[in-house]
Amino acid sequence: MTVASPLHDADASLEGLSHDLARASLAMARRFHAGGSMWCASPAWPFHAHHVAVEFVHPVIVGKRALAAVTVPPGADVVATLRASARVGDMVVALAPADDAEVAEAMRRAPAWGLETLWIGHGTRPPAGAADHVVWLDTDDALEASEQFVRVYHLLWELTHVCFEHPGLLKPSDAECNGETAAAGSGSTVCITCSDEGRLAEVVSVEGDEAVVRTAEGTERIDVMLIDPPAVNDLVLVHAGSAITNLSTQ
Amino acid sequence: MSPETTDFLYPFIEGDETDSTTLLTDLALSARGKWAQSTALRTETLERTDQQLRTVAGEMARRLTAGGRIYAFGNGGSATDAEGVAQLYTRPPTGLPLAARSLADDQAVLTALANDIGFDVVFSRQLIAHGRPVDIAMGFSTSGNSDNLMMAFAEAARQGMLTVGLAGYDGGRMATDANLEHCIVVRSDSVHRVQESQASVVHVLWAYVQESLTARS
Repeated sequence: MTVASPLHDADASLEGLSHDLARASLAMARRFHAGGSMWCASPAWPFHAHHVAVEFVHPVIVGKRALAAVTVPPGADVVATLRASARVGDMVVALAPADDAEVAEAMRRAPAWGLETLWIGHGTRPPAGAADHVVWLDTDDALEASEQFVRVYHLLWELTHVCFEHPGLLKPSDAECNGETAAAGSGSTVCITCSDEGRLAEVVSVEGDEAVVRTAEGTERIDVMLIDPPAVNDLVLVHAGSAITNLSTQ
Repeated sequence: MSPETTDFLYPFIEGDETDSTTLLTDLALSARGKWAQSTALRTETLERTDQQLRTVAGEMARRLTAGGRIYAFGNGGSATDAEGVAQLYTRPPTGLPLAARSLADDQAVLTALANDIGFDVVFSRQLIAHGRPVDIAMGFSTSGNSDNLMMAFAEAARQGMLTVGLAGYDGGRMATDANLEHCIVVRSDSVHRVQESQASVVHVLWAYVQESLTARS
């Protein structure tokens, strides 16, 4: 870091970041509005996770409502903590480099636990689809990024509260449904996320040809005859009540 | 008057706003505006405090070389700043690891002191236990008025520690406290913008400490 040099707000990247932040804020506001909790995880920078949580729970602006945010305890296994304690409808905010394997694994499993994910980091970006929302800083400088993280989560808080002033937008509309439609431009309104094309599930227990799994909709019993017997915690794709692929053994 | 005739004035009065495009555009615009404010405040703060930061860094480096340790403290978001200071000094991305701790880290100690005596003493009592004249007390407050910081600075001064405070607004009580030797003020009345520039002050101060240590060796 060049001491005392101003941060360069490259216009193009700030523009993109601001839109990513806006979409993430609306998504978080919708989850909070529906009763979800925000799990904050930062194995690399635990103080940032603590800051995000205190920001939402105890706002600096008097009169703003307290929101349910909590830190995944520093040193605790992120995957194990979320698997045990997160509920369908919750959200995860991770501040972590793209090569944080523990965070990446938690983000990968989050849809099966019914969680919406926001990944904040800097430098090399995580692969596309690694999280529902990615707010990424271009800089490779760790200290410059650390300063900008504070801005990012302050703005996340501020924008989330602005969204609460728009109650009509806090109900996810069918058309949006987190964005993706099956055939963009085809006029189809079928949503990949909502249809039964192949939903992500995590195996809770296996009993013969059946298994109990967690999905975005909660716990359900499925058929596992079409795949080799899965192990507890395997990720599988479920289609029409049957596991069709074991993602953990591929 | 029927609702239809006034709906155009209050399009979302019934909470039936359904298109998020305008809101998202407004949010993004607001984010960029605040980002620019933060950058401007950072520049103003670092230019104004540069000589002060160099002086403080020199004194910190002298004490750290002599075996001193940094005790950082604050409440809420400022407690996380203290936690960040402890991480930056002990596990720096580059340079020498240096002795530092956050006095907000140990829940057992914090809750014991708060429960048995009161929250005003949670930092000062720890300094009574741990502090030595060669050490450094570094307190964070956006208001500059936290009672437990004032008590901690008083204890640190009594022991002859170096006292460094980071405050917002006009510095609050910290700006004029006789027990606080160096008060670094981020001049803003937004808690968020203050904390953002305080993060920058922490980084520049740390870089100057490292420079100072290199110059000594």
